[in-house]
Amino acid sequence: MSNRTLPRLLQTPAVIMLLIWMLIPLSLTLYFSFIRYVLNNLRRPEWTTPSFSNWRGFGNYEFVLNSKDFLFAIQNSLLIVGSILFLTVILGVLIAVMINKAFPGQGIVRVLLISPFFVMPAVNAVLWVNMILDPVLGLQGLAVAGINDLIGSLQSAPGVGWFFSLWPEVKPISFRATQTSAYAVIIMVTWQWTPFAVLIFMTSLQSEDQQQKEAAVLDGAGTFSQFRFLTLPHLGRPIAIVVMIQAIFHLSLYAEIEIVSRGNGNKNLPYLIGEFANNNIGAASATGIFAVILANIVAIFLLRMIGKTLME
Amino acid sequence: MGRIVLENVTKSFGDAQVIPPLDLTIEDGEFAVFVGPSGCGKSTLLRLIAGLEETTSGRIVIDDNDATQVPPSKRGLAMVFQSYALYPHMSVRKNIAFPLRMAKMDQAAIDTKVEAAAKILNLADYLEQKPGQLSGGQRQRVAIGRAIVREPAAFLFDEPLSNLDAALRVGMRLEISELHNRLNTTMIYVTHDQVEAMTMADKIVVLRAGNIEQVGSPLDLYHTPRNIFVAGFIGSPKMNIIDGPEAEKQGATSIGFRPEHTDVSTTEGMWKGRVGVAEHLGSDTFIHVHDTGLADMITVRITGDIAVTHGDDIYLTPQMDKLHKFDADGLRMA
Ligand SMILES: Nc1ncnc2c1ncn2[C@@H]1O[C@H](COP(=O)(O)OP(=O)(O)O)[C@@H](O)[C@H]1O
Ligand SMILES: [Mg+2]
Repeated sequence: MSNRTLPRLLQTPAVIMLLIWMLIPLSLTLYFSFIRYVLNNLRRPEWTTPSFSNWRGFGNYEFVLNSKDFLFAIQNSLLIVGSILFLTVILGVLIAVMINKAFPGQGIVRVLLISPFFVMPAVNAVLWVNMILDPVLGLQGLAVAGINDLIGSLQSAPGVGWFFSLWPEVKPISFRATQTSAYAVIIMVTWQWTPFAVLIFMTSLQSEDQQQKEAAVLDGAGTFSQFRFLTLPHLGRPIAIVVMIQAIFHLSLYAEIEIVSRGNGNKNLPYLIGEFANNNIGAASATGIFAVILANIVAIFLLRMIGKTLME
Repeated sequence: MGRIVLENVTKSFGDAQVIPPLDLTIEDGEFAVFVGPSGCGKSTLLRLIAGLEETTSGRIVIDDNDATQVPPSKRGLAMVFQSYALYPHMSVRKNIAFPLRMAKMDQAAIDTKVEAAAKILNLADYLEQKPGQLSGGQRQRVAIGRAIVREPAAFLFDEPLSNLDAALRVGMRLEISELHNRLNTTMIYVTHDQVEAMTMADKIVVLRAGNIEQVGSPLDLYHTPRNIFVAGFIGSPKMNIIDGPEAEKQGATSIGFRPEHTDVSTTEGMWKGRVGVAEHLGSDTFIHVHDTGLADMITVRITGDIAVTHGDDIYLTPQMDKLHKFDADGLRMA
């Protein structure tokens, strides 16, 4: 036995496991995406078992491309992921910089800040959509009602009443509606994932070189210049990490979309896959392949962009 | 201009007083070196002058203006840190240009100044590289370049050479001295290495536990150390200090004599000892002498060589005119 054989043998089970883990689902998805495969069809019962004799070529892909929701789902996937990334990174950096300074109660504030991350996505969605965003029963409804009451009482006030009667009544926004359900998802996921960004950025800020800061102070850099020229470049890599990880996670959002509006006006690719998978496994698999392609395009694009702008 | 005066300056971190009340004047154009063992407060003192630490009490006067409350960027001082503190994401050019950019100088003027500094410091070929791609000595030069372009009233150096290897250290020492001669700007230089202090300084400030033990030119300190601490700290190898009857014979509590001010013979002399390690440097020989009954070990330095080996008997005679006498408080006796 050469001295390489034993290590290789010992590695083999792990490698095989990994291959099985990745290759089997991917190959099955590819396979299903090229055949007719449905769960239920009375006229063509042979389509309900996967087999090469049901070969459809790129038929499933054509079907998906032509379905009315496909482009919308891609657009919506990008809107949701892009907005969440934008908001979490900005909020994350601001909060991390703010709580990086020593202040009393720092420990408690940090724990509280991190806590949203430990709420389950479905619970997060139920809480937000019912208790906060609901136009009647949620905090939003209460706030809007309160504001309207206030305006109402001001309108009957002597002297200034005429001014306030020019004000319109404030209307609550229904976040389950076609036009707004995507924003509800963006808000709740941003709330949940900002702590993740804060956590990563905070760790990175603690490793920032203090002598560089002092040198910058002596060089005449104010607080903003220090942030712009030292802290932000220092955060370049952690920002890249946060963006990459979140992009991967949020391209596959599902629970929030289901709970907010059951896909009404707000579908992304995973949700579309779910809808197809009610019956048409072939179309669902083809959509899955599109999702893989989209994820790769997004990843490459993000890597390029971050690499260019932040590493100066 | 760069005359820096400290009046009754103190600094405490919490309850710990690191700098007891201290007065010091550094004249314009002077090369002053703060020297002392690690932890004696040299960096703290330098940071007080720079404004990176607030004084607990006392006044710092720069060029006749009270600068005690002036923010660091307005004091007109430039500092070179031990870790260089270069901005890792910027090219060498941008690093050197940074203070000018912060001062909102126009781009053409910045370019001229940066290139002039780069030329003085032999950095012209590296302007577009990042600090991470440079050697230790080059990084040190970038840090100096960043200080030079500001045309500060004074340069502050905090152990700038301690991260360099020995050969490079000697080279940079010369370069900094040359820079001082060329610019004629006040420089304050912190080090724990008395060789750096002796070779570079116009004025040495010896510190111990935040106290100034002595201020003077290198040769002042060498020839007339004010107390035993300074006597032992300045000079290499260290001065031999002995107490007891031999010191009392000279009317002192302790006497000190430098290794190079001791006559050595294999046949006769004042004190007899046994040769321990002999270090032959070619030009000089350092001999460590044991069993003299005076101290654990006495070091002597002779020019040239002498035929002794480990275990041989040896006789030592200090040169009486260069003997240092100290009283019971460790202070120099007139
Ligand atoms: N920020 C600080 N907080 C508390 N103690 C400090 C601080 N900075 C320095 N010290 C203490 O002050 C003393 C002098 O430190 P320093 O000036 O760095 O010494 P040196 O530069 O001479 O080695 C040390 O005992 C150190 O522990
Ligand atoms: Mg120090």
